[in-house]
Amino acid sequence: MSHAALNQPVLDPTLAPPFPQAALPVLRNPQLRKNVAHAIDVIQAKRAKLVAEKTDWQELRSAASAIRMHTLENLGAYLEEFEAKCTAAGGVVHWAADAADARQIILDILRQEGAGDVIKIKTMTSGEIQLNPFLQAAGVNVFETDLAEIILQLGEQEPSHIVVPALHLNRGQVREIFARRMGLKDLSDDPQALTAAARTYLRQKFLTIPTAISGANFFIAETGAVGVVESEGNGRMCLTLPRTMITLAGIEKVLPRFQDLEVTLQLLARSATGERMNPYNSIWTGVTPGDGPQRFHVVLLDNGRSSILAKPKQRQTLKCIRCAACMNSCPVYRQTGGHAYGSVYPGPIGAILTPQLMQMHHAQSLPFASSLCGACYEVCPVKINIPEVLLELRSQVVNQERRDLARFLDPMYLGLRIANLLFAWAWLFHASQFMGRIGIRFFTRNDGWIHSLPSVGGKWTQTRDLRGFPKQTFHGWWAARARQSSPASGKEAK
Amino acid sequence: MSATTPAPGQSRQRILDRIGAATQSVKKDASQLADAYRALPRAYIRRGALAAAARVELMIERLREYDAEVVESTPVALPAAIAAQLATSGKRIFAAPAGLPSEWLADGFDWKIDDSLATAKIEEAEGVVTAATCGVADSGTIVLHHSPAEGRRVLTLLPDWHLCILRASQVVETLPEYFSRCQQPPALHPRDQDLSLGTPALHPSDKDPSLGTPALVTTISGPSATADIEMTRIKGVHGPRFLHVILVRDES
Repeated sequence: MSHAALNQPVLDPTLAPPFPQAALPVLRNPQLRKNVAHAIDVIQAKRAKLVAEKTDWQELRSAASAIRMHTLENLGAYLEEFEAKCTAAGGVVHWAADAADARQIILDILRQEGAGDVIKIKTMTSGEIQLNPFLQAAGVNVFETDLAEIILQLGEQEPSHIVVPALHLNRGQVREIFARRMGLKDLSDDPQALTAAARTYLRQKFLTIPTAISGANFFIAETGAVGVVESEGNGRMCLTLPRTMITLAGIEKVLPRFQDLEVTLQLLARSATGERMNPYNSIWTGVTPGDGPQRFHVVLLDNGRSSILAKPKQRQTLKCIRCAACMNSCPVYRQTGGHAYGSVYPGPIGAILTPQLMQMHHAQSLPFASSLCGACYEVCPVKINIPEVLLELRSQVVNQERRDLARFLDPMYLGLRIANLLFAWAWLFHASQFMGRIGIRFFTRNDGWIHSLPSVGGKWTQTRDLRGFPKQTFHGWWAARARQSSPASGKEAK
Repeated sequence: MSATTPAPGQSRQRILDRIGAATQSVKKDASQLADAYRALPRAYIRRGALAAAARVELMIERLREYDAEVVESTPVALPAAIAAQLATSGKRIFAAPAGLPSEWLADGFDWKIDDSLATAKIEEAEGVVTAATCGVADSGTIVLHHSPAEGRRVLTLLPDWHLCILRASQVVETLPEYFSRCQQPPALHPRDQDLSLGTPALHPSDKDPSLGTPALVTTISGPSATADIEMTRIKGVHGPRFLHVILVRDES
């Protein structure tokens, strides 16, 4: 199979193929498309119902958007406040400039702890810095504990969604993975039985492994607290039972005050899973004697975020609270699923976040992976104008590419340069129009349609017909109209 | 991405410098920052509109929608109501936080009181009984601040069955109402509060008893659940599979 390599999704933006190529395996796989569409339909319907029930939804969005933007504009002050409060409460705060820095900090902590095993709460940030393969290579066994993450880890699969990462798999596929990896030959494909199998598989690990890694949904500057939002209780297990806890999250995750959660928490669950509230939220402040891990580390990750912050139009990308409503509403994601985005952040938010995190050196096809329909902006609980950022990034990609010598003869840029020339002088435009109208006649059939064009034009006519040119150009019609109407009247012709 | 790891502290300054440069044009001093924060738009609903009875009804309805079992009781009948719940659970070994009122510890069961119980002992418990700090009716959420009557976090996590005692006076309608109760520091440290229901609330004259900003919070909205397989909601993954609530009508 020539596409065998393509069927293994690559979520490292530096290695992933361009979006149109990466989307092919899903587009060619009806089962996968069905799985994705089903999951999205269910979440969308639940979300719509619960959002409609909130009469102050738009006010909540406006408040959340303003709080997030205010935080970003004053990020340095709030991060330093968080650091001071968290440290005073017994936490240790580390700063990681990039992915390599963060991985090393975490490994150093694990080495100090003598940790050979570590349990993990689902964190997209750890996927972003590719923590698991790094720790495994360093001899640390990593155990994911979120149900979807276990499915992916045991099945050696990649996440395709940020809230329900295994939504591309159906119950039969999950059963196969569990039966094979847990040695449960008689396991049924009932989700209840599959969930129970995961519970049993993890229970002993929760009770015995003394080191855990989590992400964070928010940091509170005012109190130094950290919060994790979850459903299953695996988060609470990891936050409560181990001796040592390491929390990794991006620098943008901070909120000014504890009270700001009254906005975020009302928006997040409704947007993410279509629930009034997710089963569990945990908030903890440093170390509490007698309750939970007695050694607590926070790793604050930059990894390109401060460069996004520097660009006022793009800064809003960092308002994101990772609810995934944008991908659930996206007509493109619905067809391609998450793997096509070549990063742990799929969908519309991934299309703007990944190229920026890569500082516009990779993932250049992503800003084009959108129809600009605006559904993502409409559902975004923190009002990120994703289409606006997409357009901004597109212009940056185009500006990079058109200056690229290797693309000098690229048909698109060649065509655009010629067009630029033609539109600059009226005589040149009219002359080329005249020539073009003669030339196009050879391709126009008797029915008035153009069914096939040669060369680059063929890419258009491959999938659609083009209407033939009208007998008269607009310029010709306008000139004729001026001649016919009375020069004195100046009134509109009927 | 650099191949070499910067020395500790070096990254901190680098990141803060980058952030400082990125936000130079909107730089504020401390008082400007406080003013800008106060000026943020907050036009969403802060206080609910429901009367006390309707608020409690909504709480019960929302809890039931999460598959939580809810029964109502009164301060006087509470110990008997707890005993009845324990009896019908079919379970025998129950964990309890050290600060749980002694009259809640019904006779005839094996109680494991959490005076720093080992995890393995908590794991042996089939159920747990605790108080709560607050109930948010709008989302059917129970808030724990892990006071002595609510117990350590692990206590309400390992046992498969959780009976939570929530007083009507603790129920607010909206999430912002809970957060405004946390705004002022509490008059007493939570560990010194009298949690038995027979005594009046901390601030008898105060309609909204102040809770203070908590160091630990767990919010519980129904039993643990997942929808990771085909978006089918499955009750009970790692946290308690069964959530029972006794709503105590302590308001006139």
